[in-house]
Amino acid sequence: MSNARIEAYARALFEIAQAEGDIDAVENELFRMARAFESNEQLRSTLTDATIPADRRQGVVEQLLGGKASNTTTQLVALVVGSGRSKDLPAIIDTLIKRASSEKKLEVAEVRSAIALTDDQQKRLSAALTKATGKQVNLKVVIDPTVMGGLVATVGDEVIDDTVRTRLEQLKSRI
Amino acid sequence: MISQIVSLLAAEDPTVTHHWLLPEMAEIIYGGLASVIIFVGLVKFGGPVIKKGMAARTEKIQKELDGAASARSTSESEAVGIRAALGDVAAERTRLLAEADTQAAALLLDGRARIATEITALEAKAVADLAAARGRGTDELRAEIAMLAALATPAVVQATLSDQTQQELIEAFITSVGAGR
Repeated sequence: MSNARIEAYARALFEIAQAEGDIDAVENELFRMARAFESNEQLRSTLTDATIPADRRQGVVEQLLGGKASNTTTQLVALVVGSGRSKDLPAIIDTLIKRASSEKKLEVAEVRSAIALTDDQQKRLSAALTKATGKQVNLKVVIDPTVMGGLVATVGDEVIDDTVRTRLEQLKSRI
Repeated sequence: MISQIVSLLAAEDPTVTHHWLLPEMAEIIYGGLASVIIFVGLVKFGGPVIKKGMAARTEKIQKELDGAASARSTSESEAVGIRAALGDVAAERTRLLAEADTQAAALLLDGRARIATEITALEAKAVADLAAARGRGTDELRAEIAMLAALATPAVVQATLSDQTQQELIEAFITSVGAGR
């Protein structure tokens, strides 16, 4: 899908979420959904399978998110899946989050960690990243076991990587 | 005299002789005269021819003798040449044998020198090959160890990453980023 169409979808979803209220919660839920879509092969293949009717794919979304995410989030994801744009779901959501952050004059800071961060850690990390980059950040944490340990933060074009995976790769290349 | 002869001839039968052995006088005379004439003719006309023929024969024989002498002389000179050549052949043989001996000695020396050089080069190559093989073996061993270490390290690290370590890593990151890295 073209960038313009992704932008259009992102803008539409953002406006619906904003109209429904609690944009922060929806944004966080969509972010987690996008990361789950990226990392889960089975979910990805199910939602992008054109041979499965749209209403059944939407049913999968509702079954997956029902009770775990807000109704707004479930409806927005079902909307994208129903329109046959499942493949671009992560790009649409990321664009939406950037737009939302931009509205709040924030920069999206994607942080990958092998384990979940506590609220306190997230606050301190946000503050630290703001100090390091000079930008107010909208922190998004992704649980990614492949990093093994430590964190990697991406703020705009800047990447701060202090993961065990990267250290091991450096060690491996040195060996 | 002629008339006597004629009368005699006319008086007697020419087919009957008076003596059983000797011919008639007239025949003797005629025969004698004819013989003389023939002899004179022979001497006069045949003599020079015979003399000339004899001279020619003599000359021919002399020529043959001269030719034989010349051939003998040539043969003798050729014999001298052959003897000389035989002498030369012997000298040449001696020279060739000496030259062959010299060349054989030179070849032997050259061969020994070349073999010595080749042996030295082979020894040097063998030493270099051994060193290279040793180095290669070391490199391969090092690579093998590195590969095994690279394979084993993530598993070992993963096993040692307790919750406490994970928290420490996160805290270290936050502190490090907060400190301005």
